[in-house]
Amino acid sequence: MSNISRTIYEIQSLDALAKEKRWINELHPLVKICVTMLYIGMTVSFPKYCLGGLLAMAVYPVILFTVGELSFRAGLRRLRIVLPLVCVVGVFNPFFDREIYAYLGKVAVSGGVLSMVTLMLKGVFTVFASYLLIATTTVEKICYALRMLHLPKLFVTQLLLIYRYIGVLSEEAGRITRAYELRAPGQKGIHVKAWGTLVGQLLLRSMDRAEQIYESMCLRGYQGEFYYGDKIKMRGRDIVYLCIWTAALIALRCLPVTEKIGSLFM
Amino acid sequence: MSHIHMEIEQLSFSYEKKVPVLKDISFFAGERESIGVIGANGVGKSTLLKLLVGLHLDFEGSIRIEEIPLEKKTLGKIREKIGYVFQDADSQLFMPNVFEDAAFAPRNYGLPEEEVNRRVEMALRAVHIEHLREKPIYKLSGGEKKLASIAVILTMLPDIILMDEPSIALDPRNRRNLIAILNQFDHLKIIASHDLDFIWDTCERTILMADGGIVCDGRTEDILRDEKLLEEHGLELPLSIYRNNHAGYAENANI
Ligand SMILES: Nc1ncnc2c1ncn2[C@@H]1O[C@H](COP(=O)(O)OP(=O)(O)O)[C@@H](O)[C@H]1O
Ligand SMILES: [Mg+2]
Repeated sequence: MSNISRTIYEIQSLDALAKEKRWINELHPLVKICVTMLYIGMTVSFPKYCLGGLLAMAVYPVILFTVGELSFRAGLRRLRIVLPLVCVVGVFNPFFDREIYAYLGKVAVSGGVLSMVTLMLKGVFTVFASYLLIATTTVEKICYALRMLHLPKLFVTQLLLIYRYIGVLSEEAGRITRAYELRAPGQKGIHVKAWGTLVGQLLLRSMDRAEQIYESMCLRGYQGEFYYGDKIKMRGRDIVYLCIWTAALIALRCLPVTEKIGSLFM
Repeated sequence: MSHIHMEIEQLSFSYEKKVPVLKDISFFAGERESIGVIGANGVGKSTLLKLLVGLHLDFEGSIRIEEIPLEKKTLGKIREKIGYVFQDADSQLFMPNVFEDAAFAPRNYGLPEEEVNRRVEMALRAVHIEHLREKPIYKLSGGEKKLASIAVILTMLPDIILMDEPSIALDPRNRRNLIAILNQFDHLKIIASHDLDFIWDTCERTILMADGGIVCDGRTEDILRDEKLLEEHGLELPLSIYRNNHAGYAENANI
């Protein structure tokens, strides 16, 4: 499979994953969004040397991957593009901050190393949390929840369309590169000189396609609002899920106990 | 099915000023008729269909559906009556799976979910793809996509069906299947195509277009048998007729 067709495949299989009927997929999207946002907020707010406390936050992704029966390997594989980026962010800290902060056995750990690891972990956790949301909730449901939060109609529709158009865009890109490769056999990748024209082509074709999709929507009664069948009802287990995670996350963040547990390992 | 009809009078249209694409087109389409619009590439078949469904409103002349003129005010009402099947199914289907896509229209019309379900079932059954209900769009074959793109407009219970090049990219078996399905519908159908064999099998009436205008409008049987007329306008006899007219064709082909 070429790179692009793999990308298309992955976007679409993520969609398929979100459509499966596991209990975690069936939870109310609003609840999942709230928990995800709370988790990200709590994770990011840890002070930069507080590695111990932060480690305890791994509980959330670990539990969700297990309970949600999601493949951790598949998750990692999907995130391989984002993860290095996340890790690069902290990589210079050790050079700026050389003060010794703690000892791991006999090895001195400088503040810089510690803050680097903390920063990277924050990135990894945040990315995982978003992945877990997307892998268990369809975009339509996420948009539904965002509308419940009174985000503007226009914004939510844009979000939905962008997601749909990414598929369109990558499909067009796939077609163009395939056509190119077939006529330039033996060449690795696409020659720099051809990039300009190809990108131009891609843009034009995608716009064309996007316009047709929009026409198809309008012809079927679309008037700026997406409807999602039955209203998604908030049920008992949604409330329970929300309460448990809210309590757990606040505890993990605020109670010194967790930091103590974390510092036992240091 | 209601007594739907469509009246087009002196319709002219251009995308860019001074380059007319459609010129002075008039015809009347009655209840349950199936009309083939034929003509060489670029004569304006697709443009005509798009105008009929109100995708461009800056035309001259008039389009009336059951006496209602097509204009901005009446657009919503008229579009409910018309199902337009795109030439390219990939542009028509945009939801994650067949069910969601078929449910899109009835949900937009604010129907309760029970009725949405009922209509989707009905539509899928009409084109024999009940088994594809939950299938992701990207996993459908070309023929399945074409049927799905018909199903998604059937859920609106349209009176009129417009189709642009429906037989393109279908293999012979899918093509036969589509012909059989279309012939069961009792909607008013307008099918634009340069596949004359397909028109021969699905339409009783044919409109031949050339250079943006109507050259001739009559019984499919008469128009598609007129070799000279077709040739003048860049078309060839349908294969089935060619075989009959040129006795010995089959024998020659066997040599
Ligand atoms: N969006 C457009 N903008 C400008 N010109 C167009 C557009 N679409 C089609 N045309 C032109 O209009 C003419 C008729 O096109 P079309 O209706 O697609 O023909 P057909 O479907 O019979 O092949 C062609 O000359 C084509 O180049
Ligand atoms: Mg056309």
